[in-house]
Amino acid sequence: MAREYGKVTPSILEKLTEALGKNRVLADEASMEPYSWDETGKNFAVMPEVVVRPGSTEEVQAVMAIAQRHHIPVTMSAARSGVAGGAVPLRRGIVITTEKMNRIIEIDEINRTATVEPGVITNDLCKVVAERGFLYAGSPMSTLTSTVGGNVATNAGGAKGIRYGSTRAHVLGLEAVLPGGEVIRLGGKIRKGTWGYDLKDLIIGSEGTLAVVTKIIVNLEPLPGRTADLLVPFASIDEAVLATSKILSLGVSLISCEYLDQPSVLLTSRYVNYAYPFQERAGAFLLVQVEGASEEDLERDCDRVGNLCYDQGAMEVFVADNRSDSADIWSVRQNYAEALRVRDPYFVSGDVLVPLSEVPAIVKAIGERAEKYDLECVICGHIGEGNMHPDIFKPDGMSVKEWEVYAEKFFADLIRVAVDLGGIGSGEHGVGFVKKPFLIETKGRVEMALMERVKGAFDPDWILNPGKIVDDHIQEEGTP
Amino acid sequence: MRLAVMIKQVPATDTVKIDPEKGTMIREGLEMEVNPLDLHALEAAVTWRDRLGGEAEVVVFSMGPPSAIKAIRSALAFGCDRGFLISDRLFGGSDTLATARALAAALEKEGPFDLVLCGERATDGETGQVGPALGHLMKASVVTYVNEITEIAEGRITLRRAVEGGSQVVRAVLPAQLSVVKELNRPRLLTLRRKQAVREREIPVLTAADLGLPVEWCGLKGSPTQVVSVKYPELVRSCEMIHVGADLERAVTDLADILTKEVAAHEG
Repeated sequence: MAREYGKVTPSILEKLTEALGKNRVLADEASMEPYSWDETGKNFAVMPEVVVRPGSTEEVQAVMAIAQRHHIPVTMSAARSGVAGGAVPLRRGIVITTEKMNRIIEIDEINRTATVEPGVITNDLCKVVAERGFLYAGSPMSTLTSTVGGNVATNAGGAKGIRYGSTRAHVLGLEAVLPGGEVIRLGGKIRKGTWGYDLKDLIIGSEGTLAVVTKIIVNLEPLPGRTADLLVPFASIDEAVLATSKILSLGVSLISCEYLDQPSVLLTSRYVNYAYPFQERAGAFLLVQVEGASEEDLERDCDRVGNLCYDQGAMEVFVADNRSDSADIWSVRQNYAEALRVRDPYFVSGDVLVPLSEVPAIVKAIGERAEKYDLECVICGHIGEGNMHPDIFKPDGMSVKEWEVYAEKFFADLIRVAVDLGGIGSGEHGVGFVKKPFLIETKGRVEMALMERVKGAFDPDWILNPGKIVDDHIQEEGTP
Repeated sequence: MRLAVMIKQVPATDTVKIDPEKGTMIREGLEMEVNPLDLHALEAAVTWRDRLGGEAEVVVFSMGPPSAIKAIRSALAFGCDRGFLISDRLFGGSDTLATARALAAALEKEGPFDLVLCGERATDGETGQVGPALGHLMKASVVTYVNEITEIAEGRITLRRAVEGGSQVVRAVLPAQLSVVKELNRPRLLTLRRKQAVREREIPVLTAADLGLPVEWCGLKGSPTQVVSVKYPELVRSCEMIHVGADLERAVTDLADILTKEVAAHEG
């Protein structure tokens, strides 16, 4: 089915300005440029026709009514820290940025919830609720820059996923605007329900293709007890992977279990100017955060994890039991993506997810593929969940266009392996348009047809973030 | 060569909360850790002990409640040879002078020491006075803001200290008391093995009586200074919008004028 979209004409600009006010409508190229790309890379940029900055649900409704009437594509934009191209306005049209919808509306201590607008920076929410003794556990690694709305759009995951799950596990309610302007309110300050199809869960992770989220009710956890961080160097990747599976079956309360291979540590430690001990000799590192209800519990559980690591051949087990050591050892993991971008602005990030038992197989496959394609590859990941990020750098001398195709081939190959191992092609970054072909290839006709019908049920004219996740069957010249 | 390191256990928080009525720090419910700046003193002491070799020894001292034993254990895991906790109900409410007197008495009892290392200041009290006061009481050379130790030989120590706008190279006669800044070194990470090894180690406790301190030198009685009240500075932020309109040149001139006035006001 061929689709056509309307253009943002001067009269539509006028209508948008009337609805939002002059300062909330950006139509000059210089102001719109930052909204044309995300962390997927500037090479994938597409300039929108207009950027609007609504400040309320009512203003979003007004924009969506105009968009629907004139059949104009609408792409949601938040921190643009995504790496699958979800925020790139592939079919131009209107970009709605959530930057003016950044209020923490309410913290409800009785119901243990926070109600926020989508543009709230995730870490700001974490800090505010921590002061009241709560943890917002849905925060991803990009917590300092990304927004709660963006996290909902991609069902983002983070270093605490092994304990708390991804963003979805912490979204209790959503308010969203449909194309045309109707508002739906799904879920609430409640933690269970069998009350019809769960539309809220459909919207989470839909990357702005089904509805525009305008309010989010999130679950708050009690702050964890005492924690300590263990940094464990292993001579080889295999030893680290094997130790992980044994750590996970100890029955110890873990908040995080992260993996970094040697090249990623060497690269990031230069960037943050903090070296891990043994980094010149260790093949891989585990970074494990252990929780204990009391000091005694914590000490006992650190011993159990640490002694197991020694038994598994760890070169050493380091314990960070003060804030400065903790901050230092986590700085390497937290700045990983930034360090990679400094090394190569065209690096491409992978996000394969496999059952834990298959982590050794996928790590091996990544190494073999990197060799086959003659690529420099670094790997980090939420190993405790089987979610690995193989990241590859553009070889010198290869053009950006050639690189896009080459990297796509590499990841297509790798995603097929992940799927064969019982996994999927994205654990937390999303599909966007970058991984759409692999989704379509690996999901099969029946499931994709169902997804297209879900898309059509929410968005009959396919104006919301067209070209992402499901195919809108448009192949324009010059679009990625 | 005998080295001593003075450490303090402080609340593990970036935002110290003060009880506005009593003027004292609210410590309830806070986890405690070794004062982060003291870790640099520990690292320097352990590194120099190993470098000097021979009979060199590092002894760690901390004054605090019995729970501060945990800080001493951390220091032992860090590599210190021995540790003492200076603890007595009589010490409650000590100001910087009373604290320095108790520490000096402990150093005298367990001494003599050639070099006494302290962190620049504790992150809770933020005075930075205890180190220099201690150095004065033990009649040692006192050097603050030490960011490099270059040589310890023949009864002298050569070091660099940070001063406004640059640095100063100092050669001091031992015994010396140094307050070190975080630029001095990168403290090592503790290993689980070391932590396990010192877990059962007996830590001797020194009381006011052990140190031969008269009651009028201890705690509140021995403290000539007292925190009477604590006020938070008021933070004022203001914003002035300059509208560009049609006249960009004018707007830029206006902005330049405002900035010039602000700079002059701050320099004046």
